Amino acid sequence: MTDFVEVDVRPTLRAGGEPFGEIMAAVNALTPGQCLRLYATFKPTPLLHVLGSKGFAHDAKELDGGDWEVVFTPADLRETTTAPTGATDDEQWPSPVRSLDNRDLDPPEPMVRILAAVETMQPGEVLSALLCREPVFLFPMLAKRGHVWRGAFEPDGITYKVLVRAGRQEGP
Amino acid sequence: MVGATLSRWSMSYFAVALACLLAGEALMVVGFGFPSAELRAPDSLVLVHLIAIGWLSLLMFGALFQFVPVLVAKPIYSNTLPLPTLALLVVGLTILVGGFLQLGGRIPALHSCFSPAAVLLGCGFALALWNLGRTLWQARPLPLAARFVTVGLLCAAATATLGFVFALVLDGSASGPPLADIATYGIPVHAIAGLSGWLTFTAIGVSYRLLAMFMLAPESETPRSRAVLYYGTAALAVAIVGGTVAIGMGGHPTAFLLVAGLLGTCALSLYGADILHLYRARKRRKIELNARMAAIALANLAGVAVLSVVLVAASQFEDQIGAIVFLAAFGWLTGLGLAKLYKIVAFLTWLECFGPVLGTTATPRVQDLVVEPRAAKWFWIYFAGVWSATACLLLDAPEVFRASAVLMLGGTTGIAVEVARTRLLLDVRPELRIPHLARRPALLASQ
Repeated sequence: MTDFVEVDVRPTLRAGGEPFGEIMAAVNALTPGQCLRLYATFKPTPLLHVLGSKGFAHDAKELDGGDWEVVFTPADLRETTTAPTGATDDEQWPSPVRSLDNRDLDPPEPMVRILAAVETMQPGEVLSALLCREPVFLFPMLAKRGHVWRGAFEPDGITYKVLVRAGRQEGP
Repeated sequence: MVGATLSRWSMSYFAVALACLLAGEALMVVGFGFPSAELRAPDSLVLVHLIAIGWLSLLMFGALFQFVPVLVAKPIYSNTLPLPTLALLVVGLTILVGGFLQLGGRIPALHSCFSPAAVLLGCGFALALWNLGRTLWQARPLPLAARFVTVGLLCAAATATLGFVFALVLDGSASGPPLADIATYGIPVHAIAGLSGWLTFTAIGVSYRLLAMFMLAPESETPRSRAVLYYGTAALAVAIVGGTVAIGMGGHPTAFLLVAGLLGTCALSLYGADILHLYRARKRRKIELNARMAAIALANLAGVAVLSVVLVAASQFEDQIGAIVFLAAFGWLTGLGLAKLYKIVAFLTWLECFGPVLGTTATPRVQDLVVEPRAAKWFWIYFAGVWSATACLLLDAPEVFRASAVLMLGGTTGIAVEVARTRLLLDVRPELRIPHLARRPALLASQ
């Protein structure tokens, strides 16, 4: 029997508050075998990506009245494991040393500029880039070159923000 | 691996598909099949299936193996299965064509070809649908474009199943009222499921994403785009499920097809409004050849809708169904397919050759792989041939139709040569080829 921890952030949202910290506290407090059931006033698309990068699968459904129920299932409870959508480490990343706004560039120019910029960075440095869609062809290339990334749609649901941390070199 | 990688066998699908299109057009030039023969004559069925399975379905599968992972941001379930799938589809189609030639008395009928063709094509479609279906399943909840593709794939399953039944009845492996009735009266349902459901609905879904991507247009899901999905799905369900059930119960599907036609017209009108908005709201003012030619294909789709309404009003719809299907297959689907193929081959080739060195050295742009003014000429010749041929069908002028088919064949040959030149990097200026870093791609497979 799966054990659910329920978090209802609808009161926080309706009061104009920011529920992210509340949700992440609940996620970090999950014990092995527990799932998180979240209630929100809208479909929390950015959160789906954030928790996706931590290995959670999600099942979102709209409730009567326009609210949403999302069940997050950790990787250890899934029958088949899927690859994470980027970095899985919880460590704090440094502030970006470079920021790119690639939203008005023709594809594949956004990808080219990110790869070119990362090549000039020191290992461990972080690049931030804004895009108008999830860069699905970029991710395998970053992985192949030893870089890691974290990406998610911004709350506007249109802008995709990706952080790329240049790969660390071999050694201590 | 996260994200999308290159689909290994899509180029093989595209090459076989283009060969089938050229073969079909050559048959039209020599006067084989429709319109020289009746639309339901065996020779015409050779032509129809060469285009519907050999060209359009293989093109669509090749494109979907690459772009379903892009639509859902998940890797394809299997990058290996597409090769045996292609083999099954090509051998199955070849035997099916043999069956129609037997039916027309052109080759001896020592053993009927229909059952083996049905089994091979059934397995080929099942494998393709399994691979794409598993990829979509792991990506739920699906974005809008992928939901269109899902409905399109269900229609492909329905089309293939009906075709399977027809084949078994044709060679006597199956008989009895429900199956024999379906084989007798179900051809319009089979054609609608294939042409409108599988090919058109899938193309509509993919067009939302590709047009927005290549024109820098907003891509958000709107109530209108959702309405296109709902009306279209309802139309297809009424036509396919309702039509088949009606035939199975001993009735006729006409009433269901009429209701489906009304729902489908609503869906197409809303889609037209969406597409106009996409083109008008684009940030990129000067658009590439693929988007310009896709606009011509979309105008042809509007032409199919308008022509259908006019012919229904004039009580000429059934007499002129061949012209409508022709404009849909060649003006809309083939036009869009050729336009997008021109871009997709350039993009995938660029990614394969120069992806590994991107950012580390100067590389050509995608547009450096193509010569648009030269290709534009071939596209215009092709479309001129399609419009002229459609007019010949409406005016019942089969000899002039063959001359129009020459234009179509010439235009398609030109486009196929341009696509092959792109794949082989023949149009990239020598100083940009960086041979010490970039590899030359194989013509038919990607690494």
